[in-house]
Amino acid sequence: MPPSDPPPLLSLTGVSRSYGERVALRPLDLALAAGRCIAVMGANGSGKSTLLRIAAGRDAPSTGHVIYAGRVMSQDDLVVRTEIAVVGDMVSAYPDLTVREHLELVAVAHGAGRDRDELVDRALAECRLDDHGSALPGSLSSGQLQALHLATMLVRPRRLMVLDEPEQRLDPARRRWLGELLHAEKQAGAAVLMATHHVELAAAAADHVLVLSEGAVAGQGAPGTALAALAALG
Amino acid sequence: MTVTREAIAVPDSTGPTISLLRELRRGRGRQRAASAAYWAYLIGLAVALYGGSEIAAAFHALRQPPAATALTVRVSHAAPAGLAALALVVLLVLLRDGLWRGPVTLPQVTVDWVLGTPVDRGRLLRPRFRASAAVAVLAGAAVGIVPAAALVGLGLLGGHGSGSVLRLILVAMLSTALLFGFGTGVAAFVERSATAARWVRRLTPFACALAAVLGGLAVWAAVGKPPSVLSAIAVWSGPWGWTVPGMTALAGGSARLWPAAVALTGAAAVAFLVLGFFAAAGVPGAALRVRARTIGAMSAAVLSMDTRGVALAYGGRASGRRARLRLRPPRRRELVLLWRDLLALARAPSRLAGAAALALIAVGLVAVAGPGGHAALVPVASALGLGYLAAAWLCEGARLDAEDTRRSENLPFRFERLAWWHAGVPCLVLLVVAGVPAVAASVVTGSARFVVLLAVTVPVLVAGALVNVFRPRHHPDLFGGVETPVGNTAAISVLLWFVWGPLLAVVPTTALLISALGPSRPGVLARTVVVAIGLAVGLCTYAAVRARRLRSA
Repeated sequence: MPPSDPPPLLSLTGVSRSYGERVALRPLDLALAAGRCIAVMGANGSGKSTLLRIAAGRDAPSTGHVIYAGRVMSQDDLVVRTEIAVVGDMVSAYPDLTVREHLELVAVAHGAGRDRDELVDRALAECRLDDHGSALPGSLSSGQLQALHLATMLVRPRRLMVLDEPEQRLDPARRRWLGELLHAEKQAGAAVLMATHHVELAAAAADHVLVLSEGAVAGQGAPGTALAALAALG
Repeated sequence: MTVTREAIAVPDSTGPTISLLRELRRGRGRQRAASAAYWAYLIGLAVALYGGSEIAAAFHALRQPPAATALTVRVSHAAPAGLAALALVVLLVLLRDGLWRGPVTLPQVTVDWVLGTPVDRGRLLRPRFRASAAVAVLAGAAVGIVPAAALVGLGLLGGHGSGSVLRLILVAMLSTALLFGFGTGVAAFVERSATAARWVRRLTPFACALAAVLGGLAVWAAVGKPPSVLSAIAVWSGPWGWTVPGMTALAGGSARLWPAAVALTGAAAVAFLVLGFFAAAGVPGAALRVRARTIGAMSAAVLSMDTRGVALAYGGRASGRRARLRLRPPRRRELVLLWRDLLALARAPSRLAGAAALALIAVGLVAVAGPGGHAALVPVASALGLGYLAAAWLCEGARLDAEDTRRSENLPFRFERLAWWHAGVPCLVLLVVAGVPAVAASVVTGSARFVVLLAVTVPVLVAGALVNVFRPRHHPDLFGGVETPVGNTAAISVLLWFVWGPLLAVVPTTALLISALGPSRPGVLARTVVVAIGLAVGLCTYAAVRARRLRSA
């Protein structure tokens, strides 16, 4: 990052991850400041999700360390759970809770009080789910379920957002909306770390693109430069 | 509450979140309670209808314990080491349960929606541990009835009154309940700590060896007279042994210190239950996520009666392995399925080793079966059952194609023809493994009969295994059955769904082998060969028909 950038909120130094003999992520460094967005790109199996899980405090690196807000991040850290919004590894939903109730649950778990209803209404409207507030998850399309997962981060406080392929299953209009949303979040001061396969989304939201290939950094830089490196990888 | 650049205070949201979740899910909780009550009613009804008279007879027998027999003395000598071996196995199962599931688990939805929030993990996880511990202790108490009833039934309390029987049962229930409690408490540590989990993995082979030694000691005590100090060492060797003296003492044995043993088990159980309660809050989120996923996959497999799915869900925990062994693909397309099946076995070497062991035991059983006749029925049927299991384990390639019929779409074979091709490797492996002792036996006896019988039996068993591999998908109607004057057929249809292949292969082959192993008569061997070849071809054709139906379903 250029020297004029603010101090990083999240920094990874020499972080790698192995599962038995399989190396999922080779040692890499990464620094992300508030109000900035890094997009991680690369083919399937290149280590994007592993990197994001470590950055979100959901997995421990095999080597190296992760510093969040000035202190070494540990797994299941309470501050991490309070400040980092994660979207990507939610695979299920309570079959008996409505869309609104899911959001209420997350809002309350993050300390929402009287403003709960307002927060939920705003998130439903933002994610174009206001007609589906009383729907059960089983009746939603996969794109609407993804919108629900994105809505969960809007009803909670967030300093850092870790998003694993947030564009998946969204139609083109919603993908454009997602780009605008991430841009707005960034402007408001959130740091965003996102894995994506969508070049337009990366170009719209990211300040920096990191390209991974077989667990190692294959290229990085401003979106234009790095996306060219990605194209060269095929 | 929105985006911020500043640090966010950790909210005290545990109480409101748990209350909200409870309120939102109240209806579902009632539904589940009603469903559990309905199942309890059904099971109770079934037990009363089908086992009522047996239970009443058992209670009657316990009131007037059966008299001692010649076997009773042997049982009383073998009981200390034998029961200690069983208790050790139970404890090992409880501890290994902590490696993949354990007493502290959350449903997938709770993991996905609540675990990542600042909710206090202790208040989320400790109730889970408490519930698991309560269930384990109750299950342990119920399990305790079994050894107590066995000791009474084998005549160890002959001549005593019902009071003695009741005391024995109560002490047995208490001892096993405490053992289960102890195991559950330690399992919580295994779940929480990667180091503890590593130790459980490392010590498992030693624990198995110790259980085998204790079992051997029990056999020795039953048939001989080992030094009494060995029996004392067995029961005081650890918590598994402490559960035993109470039972053996109240069953007429000599164990004066049994109250101390029960007290020791109790102290260990209470200590580890308390420690496990506190450890529960610290189970890592990553472990809870993996466990929730595994349990979800396993529950789905159990509900759809997919035994292979259960095994895959259990085995799927060990990831990150690389395939070491490689085989060069063949040039001829006719050999490609044989190559693929050999690869499937190379990637699951434990199947190959297990199948080889079963095949060798099966050959041994046929060798001890003697010259046919009624006496040979049990060893021959057992040998063929084991041989069938070995064949089924070796049909890995076929199973991979059957569980998802799309996998073979790129192969230049019709799906029903695959059944025939997949028979090749299992037949080859079994013939090689079992062929060595069969050839040796033929050389010793000067008769090629063993080799010929092996050569025609193996294809029948493999074809039977393929019939099962290509069975139709489990259908809910299977549980419905058909009402007949003697009851509903659901239980039979479910059973047949599982055992149709082995039934068709093992039953006729048992009859054939018993007749062929008998005194040598002209034509018997030739007839056996012809019938067995016909059976193998017929079963393989049937497997192909089932494969076609499976594909078109």
